[in-house]
Amino acid sequence: MPGQFQFYDDSLMSHGSMDYIMGTRFDIISVGKSKEISESVWQNISLELIRLDKMLNCFDPNSEISHINNFAVQESVSLSNEFSEILLTCKEFHKRTLGLFDITLTDFTKIDFNYNSKSIQFQIPGLHLDLGGYAKGYALKKINQILVKSTVNQAFINFGNSSIFGIGHHPFGHSWKISINNPYKAGEAIDEIDLIDMSLSSSGNTPSYPKHIINPTTGKYDDSLKLVCVKAKDPVVAEVVSTSLMIANQRERKKILRNFEVEFTQTYTF
Amino acid sequence: MKGNKENQVDHSLRQFIKDLGYITGGAALLVATAPWLQSFTPEKAKEIKNEKARIGFIGTGSRGQYNMHAVLNIPHAEIVALCDDYPPSLKTASELCPNAKTYTNYKKLLESPDIDGVVISTPLNWHAPMVLDALAAGKHVYCEKAMALTMDECKAIYDAYQRTDKVLYFCMQRMFDEKYIKGIQMIHSGLIGDVVGERCHWFRNHDWRRPVPSPELERKINWRLYRDSSAGLMTELACHQLEVCHWVSGQMPESVVGMGDIVYWKDGREVYDSVNLVYHYSNSTKINYESLIANKFNGMEDQILGKKGTMNLATGVYFLEDDSKSKSGIEQLINQIGEKVFTAIPAAGPSWRPETKVENTAYPILTGKFNVNNGLSMVGAVKDGSDEILSAFCQGCITGEKGKNIVEEAYCATMLCHLGNQAMVEGKKISFPEEYKIPYMSF
Repeated sequence: MPGQFQFYDDSLMSHGSMDYIMGTRFDIISVGKSKEISESVWQNISLELIRLDKMLNCFDPNSEISHINNFAVQESVSLSNEFSEILLTCKEFHKRTLGLFDITLTDFTKIDFNYNSKSIQFQIPGLHLDLGGYAKGYALKKINQILVKSTVNQAFINFGNSSIFGIGHHPFGHSWKISINNPYKAGEAIDEIDLIDMSLSSSGNTPSYPKHIINPTTGKYDDSLKLVCVKAKDPVVAEVVSTSLMIANQRERKKILRNFEVEFTQTYTF
Repeated sequence: MKGNKENQVDHSLRQFIKDLGYITGGAALLVATAPWLQSFTPEKAKEIKNEKARIGFIGTGSRGQYNMHAVLNIPHAEIVALCDDYPPSLKTASELCPNAKTYTNYKKLLESPDIDGVVISTPLNWHAPMVLDALAAGKHVYCEKAMALTMDECKAIYDAYQRTDKVLYFCMQRMFDEKYIKGIQMIHSGLIGDVVGERCHWFRNHDWRRPVPSPELERKINWRLYRDSSAGLMTELACHQLEVCHWVSGQMPESVVGMGDIVYWKDGREVYDSVNLVYHYSNSTKINYESLIANKFNGMEDQILGKKGTMNLATGVYFLEDDSKSKSGIEQLINQIGEKVFTAIPAAGPSWRPETKVENTAYPILTGKFNVNNGLSMVGAVKDGSDEILSAFCQGCITGEKGKNIVEEAYCATMLCHLGNQAMVEGKKISFPEEYKIPYMSF
């Protein structure tokens, strides 16, 4: 079984984790199922994570995304069904975020994507796809499907702190309650958020990772000292909106929020 | 003016004890880690307040003068005699202490009834005869490390110490260095988990030589470089660090392997300028020791590796293997649910990346500013515990109270130095010899 799995008999609680997957750490706590069921659910989740990592990780030379990045400049590359669906969603999100969510990080309109023939080709050299602001949300959505299918209705998922998903509620509380860490001051909480069947995505810079969000419309990295948190039912939406709001101006922000169903957004500046 | 200065120093010594938690509680914990500090109570300080230990200095070269400066700042001590057979050193020392009587033969100094204790800062081959003679003459003795040039001499000193009622100190100053005391207390309290290894090194880029006014003085001045007066890097540098390993583990390694070479300074010296050793404990943990004096990049460190963290005692910082920050609050949640508690757990924030985990957070052992020795000085560092251990010795000269474990620690450390040298010379694994075991050691 990949990763680590631990079951706590007294509280019918299981903890599955992977130290390094999709560039970060993954943890899930689930409550209320037997050891056997929990173990098999974890098995499915961990294998799904590995499968998605193999498809979406652009640092893995054998992944589908790497194959596209390597060959789509010269020729039309055919896509798997799933990758086609993902690209279609990303295209739609690109539109709804006024171009701020852009998996090419430069200009999404410079790719020829044909959903019907399931193929892609880059119009200009130097383009490549990066699903950094999307993949974790997508993985959470897929994992949620596994949990629903297995009738797990109390679970808490932390995907590298930036993507969190609370399913049902804490066994001794009305929600999953989490505090938001101040990225510039270790140990300081800046807010508390309740999640009930809700995901939370955070985007921001940290002292050790200051410039990693690029504004595709200007080509410049955002280096502001801020943190954007977005709460939404759909973890993909939370992910895409938090990344976009990180670089949006006031006007863009209002427009973008009109295009998505989100519960709550908050920008913390430091 | 002098009075003011004394007050200032007295204050700093009290502050040292206070900072260590002696006065403000925590005494039991502290004594468990550093039993030799139990003589440093405020009551004892009051007891000796109006008295002065009369100290004679045997050896007034650079290290002797360093020690003199320290003693001059100790309110409960005065320097009454100086001895050296090298006139330039004696002259400089005498200028520092014009009222002290001067000698060129240490045996004559030992005959003086007006001396309570002696501070010996001489080449290693002189330690054993001088310490033994001084104890026999009824003097309290403070001697530079290492203990002595050979294992037999060390054992002779240890045996003499068992028979005497005199105070004997060796300059194991890390035992009085605040960051070592606190750091080892943290290790003993479990902060870094089980100790799984020890790594010590001392690097310099220097020939280890002193200028020699005329060729016949070469062996006298550069005594560190010749085998009949020195055991090289092991006794001069490693000794301190091996003492720390023993202090941390409370155990003696049962065997050692090593390689020693003259890598760079091929100038006629007889001692290695490069040593690499592995000491092996019966519980399978090891000390990795390395010293090289033709490259200083790695500096000096006494590093204790624990299952849960790493303690860098020389630089006074520690690191934790699994920082709670990178644990994503999940452990807290597991504990909460286990204890049927519901509160917020710290989790959300910018994406956690493994890179941030590689940049380990360094936590200081002590709060506020503290002194870190870069290990480059051939004479001595400031605030490395030397002043405190000398002050403790001078107190012992007044009270007659022996320093707990100090001779034993010096004996263990020096024995490990000699054992290491033997392993390197013979090119084989050496087990600790039965005849040199003492009750203080556990293997």
